[in-house]
Amino acid sequence: MGDDNSYDIRTILTQMREEYWQALAEEESEAKETLECLVFTLGGKRYAFETHYASEVIRIPKLVRVPAVQSLIRGIFNLRGEITAAIDIRPMLGLPQPEIGPTGRILVVRGDNFATGILVEAAHGVQALCFDDFEPVAAGCGIKAQFLRGHFTVEEGSVILLDMEALLADPELVAGEA
Amino acid sequence: MGNRYLEIFCREAEEHLASLQSGLLVLEKNPARTDLLHELLRNAHTLKGSARMVGLADISAITHTMEEQLKGMERGERTVDAQAIDLLLRGADAVALITSALMRGTAPELDVERFVAEYERGELGQHISAEPKEAQAEAHADTVRADVKTLDHLVNLVGELIINKKRLEAKLERLKEIGYALPDQHAATLGAFRGELEEDVLYLDYLIQELHGKAMGLRMLPLRTISDGLERLVRDLAQQLGREVQFQIVGQAIEMDRVLLEGLKPILIHLLTNALSHGIEAPDARAAAGKPRRGTVLLSARHQGNSVLVEVRDDGRGMDPAGIKAAAVARGVLDPREADVLSDEEALYLTFRPGFSTAEIVTDVSGRGVGMDVVKKNIERVKGSVTLSSEPGRYTQVTLQLPLTLSVLDALIVACGGETFAIPTNYLQEIVKVRAGEIDTLGSGEVIKVRGATTPLYSLPGMLGLPERREAGDATLSAVVLKHCDQRIACIVEAHLGYSEVVVKGLGKQFRNVRFLFGATILGDGNPALILNVPDLFESGRGVQRAPLSAEEVQAAQRRLKVLVVDDSITTRTMEQSILVSQGYRVVTAVSGEDALEKSAQEQFDLVISDVEMPGINGFELTRALRASEQYRETPVIIVSSLSRDEDKRQALQAGAQAYIVKGAFDQGLLLETVQMLIG
Repeated sequence: MGDDNSYDIRTILTQMREEYWQALAEEESEAKETLECLVFTLGGKRYAFETHYASEVIRIPKLVRVPAVQSLIRGIFNLRGEITAAIDIRPMLGLPQPEIGPTGRILVVRGDNFATGILVEAAHGVQALCFDDFEPVAAGCGIKAQFLRGHFTVEEGSVILLDMEALLADPELVAGEA
Repeated sequence: MGNRYLEIFCREAEEHLASLQSGLLVLEKNPARTDLLHELLRNAHTLKGSARMVGLADISAITHTMEEQLKGMERGERTVDAQAIDLLLRGADAVALITSALMRGTAPELDVERFVAEYERGELGQHISAEPKEAQAEAHADTVRADVKTLDHLVNLVGELIINKKRLEAKLERLKEIGYALPDQHAATLGAFRGELEEDVLYLDYLIQELHGKAMGLRMLPLRTISDGLERLVRDLAQQLGREVQFQIVGQAIEMDRVLLEGLKPILIHLLTNALSHGIEAPDARAAAGKPRRGTVLLSARHQGNSVLVEVRDDGRGMDPAGIKAAAVARGVLDPREADVLSDEEALYLTFRPGFSTAEIVTDVSGRGVGMDVVKKNIERVKGSVTLSSEPGRYTQVTLQLPLTLSVLDALIVACGGETFAIPTNYLQEIVKVRAGEIDTLGSGEVIKVRGATTPLYSLPGMLGLPERREAGDATLSAVVLKHCDQRIACIVEAHLGYSEVVVKGLGKQFRNVRFLFGATILGDGNPALILNVPDLFESGRGVQRAPLSAEEVQAAQRRLKVLVVDDSITTRTMEQSILVSQGYRVVTAVSGEDALEKSAQEQFDLVISDVEMPGINGFELTRALRASEQYRETPVIIVSSLSRDEDKRQALQAGAQAYIVKGAFDQGLLLETVQMLIG
């Protein structure tokens, strides 16, 4: 009985070890090729950015309008005691602005200087997007391409990758005089 | 290891330098007090010893010289005069410069070798700019050092606690309503339970208030922490300007929020510099006027209710209302007709207008630093107010009223334009009901009588550019009467929702100095509300030629007037848009000249407002293109640009523009006036 048991354990251990190494190997080869992205809808199209920019995704709370600031700042909300702005970046991307309904979310992102909430029409969660399907943005695409890095072609269609670094550093996001 | 000892030495040095500095200044005033010499000697001696211990030869050499000089004074071999004191103070300054550089890990802004050599020979080190070193709060044995960040965090947490308590109180109210709806026997049980809960909340409230007081107390520092450096400043300035000045400080122990004190220091420096350079006359001039040769500058602080009053008063030449008016007219700050109706008291406040300075000769002293307009701005930023009083030839007094703290303030909550705003009560005079029949027109604006005084009336949502919900007819309106610097305005709001103590929160770095806003708070329901910056409302009231109230009639007339706003900057676009929309114009925006041409072809606009420098075709080219088209040959074009050269203006007119507004001087009133002039 005891012998049988120990035999079993040894097999299981070997199997586990193999699986472990295999998983490691897979992870390594995948890490080179995919990018973990948060995917969401803006202006009816699918957009994405790397997950490390996002700190959370929330339902849209009551937004309080701020007088005398640029229209892309749609309001402020209470993020657990921190006053945070909700911004509509669609005009910056040259996108139409369909009304944001019940599927709408706020993606809270952290830039170098501040945290801000990006209003989106829907959030689709985190996806590992494969670099093989990536096509960088062609040079000379004009102002509209300023915040884009390229797009992934996936089963559901195209996912456009935003240049969050450039977007969050854009002075248009900041209200008021220096 | 070296670092640790260096740090300890620097801290120690700070204390000794502070007492050296204050002791020397007392000694200078009373040279007879040789009893002070002993303590000063001890300071210098200890410093020398410690410097040797950590191997700082320069400091030890400087302090050695200081020690020798002090010894000479003690033995009576050296006279205690201003020059000798000056030499000692220079030594202390040099040591301070070296230690602070050590703390920062940088090279001192001082040629140490040269200074040490000169100093040993007893020469004044003229090449060092003496940064007045301020004393640290006295270190007591039973105190601990705490990180300022930790203290701020603590205060924030207490703020959260207050907000949470408010929510509990709101729930108690709801519980009462629930009780009313229940059958009697249940209601009685619930009522008793509610009573107990209420007591608990009350006790919690008491504890939170206590905790809040203590937490705030931790951030409080006495005025002394900044005033020591000021004594030195006045002394040096007086010497430099050839004035004889007695500087008195009253109320050094008055405590204020650390953040406020930090903001107060540059303001006091400016006011004192003004008092010495513009106020106190030269000794001979004073004697000729029958005043004591030595002028007096008094800095005093005292509590008044929930605020601190800080006064800077000098018995110098005072402020001359007629001279100020004349200077204001000469500089184009004031219209001559306006000047005639201005009272003497109001004239004093002209000095707060940007670009105003009555200094006839721009000296090293009065020519640098911030102007009075900046003083006013800074005071407003910390929710304070400033009042001036003066009698020519007698005195000038500047009184700053400051809150004790910035983290909690009393506010009136009002509903306006579909949002909730908090108005700090220190700006609030009263709440009045206004009937449409009581509104009069005066000039281009509207006024009401408040306690017999004619007061300008504005609509708060109109000022803020928010949608207005106004009922026609003789409905009663609610207005809040606000006061600021002896001025009053009344603002119409939708409703007032009662008074509340609000916890002030910053808007974060995404918002810089945003017009109209002081900060935000979180209300009992968990939603944010914006706290209004009342001085901005007064400014906006001056800028808007037309009271937004009468905008309704204008709106009807302007309903069909359409404006095309062209600018590649979203900020400018949005600003212009909201200004025009608030006045009832319809606005379409274009991001470039090309975009504008496309949009103008699709529909007919009554007016085009354009920037000059844009990617693609510029504003001049756009104007020319519009002029060339059949549709837009007669349509007025306003150029709004940051280019202010006459050449640019000429070019704009040549291209066919009707008006040219420079962005630097850009204000709401001017834009609206120009628009109204062109298209009505």
